[in-house]
Amino acid sequence: MATLLIEDPVFLTHRVPHGHPERPARLEAVSTALGEDRFGGLMRSNAPEAALDRILLAHDGHYVEEIQKELPESGIVQIEADSYLSPESYTVALRAAGAACHAVDEVIEGRATNAFVAARPPGHHAERDRPMGFCLFNNAAIAARHAQERHGASRVAIVDWDVHHGNGTQAIFWDDPSILYGSTHQMPLYPGTGAASETGAGNIFNAPLHEGDEGDEFRTAMAERILSAVGRFSPDLIIISAGFDAHWRDPLAGLNLKAEDFAWATKAVMDLADRYCGGRIVSLLEGGYDLTGLGESVAAHVSTLMAA
Amino acid sequence: MPAEARTPAAVETLTFEQALAELETIVSRLERGDVALAESIAIYERGEALKNRCAELLKEAEARVEKIRLSPGGKPAGIEKLDVE
Repeated sequence: MATLLIEDPVFLTHRVPHGHPERPARLEAVSTALGEDRFGGLMRSNAPEAALDRILLAHDGHYVEEIQKELPESGIVQIEADSYLSPESYTVALRAAGAACHAVDEVIEGRATNAFVAARPPGHHAERDRPMGFCLFNNAAIAARHAQERHGASRVAIVDWDVHHGNGTQAIFWDDPSILYGSTHQMPLYPGTGAASETGAGNIFNAPLHEGDEGDEFRTAMAERILSAVGRFSPDLIIISAGFDAHWRDPLAGLNLKAEDFAWATKAVMDLADRYCGGRIVSLLEGGYDLTGLGESVAAHVSTLMAA
Repeated sequence: MPAEARTPAAVETLTFEQALAELETIVSRLERGDVALAESIAIYERGEALKNRCAELLKEAEARVEKIRLSPGGKPAGIEKLDVE
């Protein structure tokens, strides 16, 4: 068995205006980084399209209809402060969610040790009924529900180390003790949520970090406030909302992590997954807007996953 | 509006009232959720600088009050500005 990498040229076809940070070049940087010889051991797969009923595991039907209705025939339309649709965007978003569900299938059914999904648009800001912060469908939330509904997982933990708080994932699972959501993020920063006092049904764990914080602060917060809670939760599957915008080079935030901090966090999650759920991890790309920082961080993350 | 009028004033030149007013505007924009992710780092940095300016001015004011209260003889000796780190 090996680590599964899901990537697909279709993800380049969700277009945004010139100068927008969440751009197709991000995935080209990921693809280049994971094209090195040392990644020859990855199983690689394209992204299947999610059926509509998968999207509805985490979103309202009228929201999905709205997205379809607003799709332009050509060009790009803005649907929210940060979020845009091009003609292919709905299909691309279905494929991003489909890739996340496929990764869950492969990992839970034992065909892959663990998986990384290099998709866009990202998902963790998207709420049940609205797009937000570059995100259309909440891929992590859909994948977690899919693991429960299709595979009978009782408890799924979502560990989110994107530099922005995953308000969408938190809101979707706010009163659902069968899903643990744990996040490290810079605060104050967009989207404004993620205080430690936001605890949902005792299933939400937020560990805000301050501008300028480095690997030491990140590791302490992750270990003591997120991963300890994940251990007590004893999940059947761990999903990582893997954003790499806490990297020191990233233009959208002010934390100072290095690639090896992401490798450390990956290993720490893997140790937990080994102990509680047979190593089952599905990691989904979220943010990361500096192409060099993103490439080296993804390489550190995936090479660590491969060492399982 | 001339272009220079839209350029934010240097934080260290603002009075307490000006800095607080601008900070309140930023906070209310954040609470309304009308700040885009793509520009959020700039607005948070401005907010942080304004917060620090307010804190610095408050600290200076507190030090002046302290100076009066601690005057010998129990009489107000006027306000003398202290150097505050």
